[in-house]
Parts: sequence; structure tokens; C-alpha cells
Amino acid sequence: MSIRRKKRLKAIVPTASFADIAFLLNIFFMVTSNFIKEGHIELKQPGSPEIEALKESQISVALDKEGELWLQGRPCPVGVLEEGVKVLIAELGDKTVMLKIDREVRQEKYGPVFLALSRAGAELALVGQKEKE
Amino acid sequence: MLLSKTRAFFEPDVTSFADIAFLLIFFFILTTTFILPAGSKLDIPAASADPEKAEDKQLTVTLAGEDIHYGPEGEKVTLEELRRSLFGRNFRAKPPDKRIVIVNAKPDVPYELYFDVVMAIHHADGVLALLEEEEKAKK
Repeated sequence: MSIRRKKRLKAIVPTASFADIAFLLNIFFMVTSNFIKEGHIELKQPGSPEIEALKESQISVALDKEGELWLQGRPCPVGVLEEGVKVLIAELGDKTVMLKIDREVRQEKYGPVFLALSRAGAELALVGQKEKE
Repeated sequence: MLLSKTRAFFEPDVTSFADIAFLLIFFFILTTTFILPAGSKLDIPAASADPEKAEDKQLTVTLAGEDIHYGPEGEKVTLEELRRSLFGRNFRAKPPDKRIVIVNAKPDVPYELYFDVVMAIHHADGVLALLEEEEKAKK
């Protein structure tokens, strides 16, 4: 007795458009990505129940737990902070400065930073963590 | 009669394009942050306040160590009491020059406390003002 074998259809997955989709996704990520400039700076942000979401600004100042000051992710002495921020404000046309300070840093370190930024005419966006009331 | 030469059809090998593209995607997925920063935007008036007008006529919060001093006599208050007192001032109904609150922090004040006080002032619609070092020395 002869057994008739059914003809099986070969399943083919069309992969020609995979590269196009992948490149479109790439372009999306490239356009929307914002690279972290300050990943190397160690600081613990203070928390408060009264804070809300902020729009990320292009100018960023950070003061780490050792009291070291960083402007745009690069070390910056407090003496030149005012001038540096003034230049960035003029270049970028944005007065908002994201200010990240470690919660344990003392006033003798952050006081001059606030004064320098105030003198530079910056609008401060104090960065912290939202805490429950 | 001309005989047309059979040209070899040139087709670039694109099979690895998708792999490269997906590798790039993984890179972007891993390095992208979707977390928006949280905080508060403050407009601090010019730092050089007139010492004549300063602390005597305007509200002052003095911070020393972990303590908050507030009021005409500079009584020690808790953060919650300060919040309530600032809300009671109804800054929203006042012109900007009457909303100014000076924060005078001593050198040993941790940023965590300063941040809490600044947020309380901001939340109550007050305007934060800073004291210059020379003015501080006079006080």
C-alpha cells in the first residue's frame, strides 16, 4: 500500500524590512536620547514632598559629597562659576540651571555656589527626589 | 551585429545590516534615561540686597546646624511649623517685593535642611533671597 505524503509548504519569514525598522528605531533613539553628562558624579539628592517634575535644562551644575563643583560634568572652581554660567546662558539662550547638590554638603560649600549663580542671572532648578508626605 | 555582454548583477550583501541596527538599538535602550528630573524652579533675586532693607524689614529664616529659627524673636520652630506659618502669610495676594523671605544659613547647615526650607518658601509662593557674605558678617 502506498502512503501519500502531503506536500508541506515551506514557511518563509520575510526579513527584508527588518533593517528598515531597526534603522527607524535607531533614528528615534538618536533624536530623543539625552546622554547623561554627570554619571561619574556621586551625590545623594535631598528629598521633599513639595517638588514636581522638571523640564531638563541644558546647563547643569553639580556639587558632590566631597564638595567638588562640576559645570556641565567638568570640574569647575567656584571662582569661575559665575563667568562660566554667564557664557553658557549667552551661548544657549537658556537661563535655567539644573542645580544638583549632595544632601550632606554644608553651607560653606553650597552658599558661594548659590551666590555665584544668582549673580550670573540664572534661574535655578533645584533637583531633588519626590518624597511621600 | 553587436552582442550584449552579460553583466554580472551586483547586489550588496545586506543581511548583517539588521544585526548592526539592532545592536545600535540595544545600545540606545541601555544608555537612555526616561526619568525626568524632579525639583523646583526658583528665581532668586539679585544677590546684592540692600543691607538697610534686608533682615530688619523682611522675613528671615535663620538656619543653624539642624535648627530653624523664624519670627520676630527668632524662635526655634519645626519645619512643619515653618510651613504653616509661611502659608498663613498668604504671599499669593501680595506683590513680589512683599513676598521676599531671606534665608540666612550658618556654615554648618546641611543642604538637606536648606533644601526643605527653600521648598517650603517656594511652596508658600514666597521669593527666596540670599544674603551676601559681607552682610552676613555684619549680622
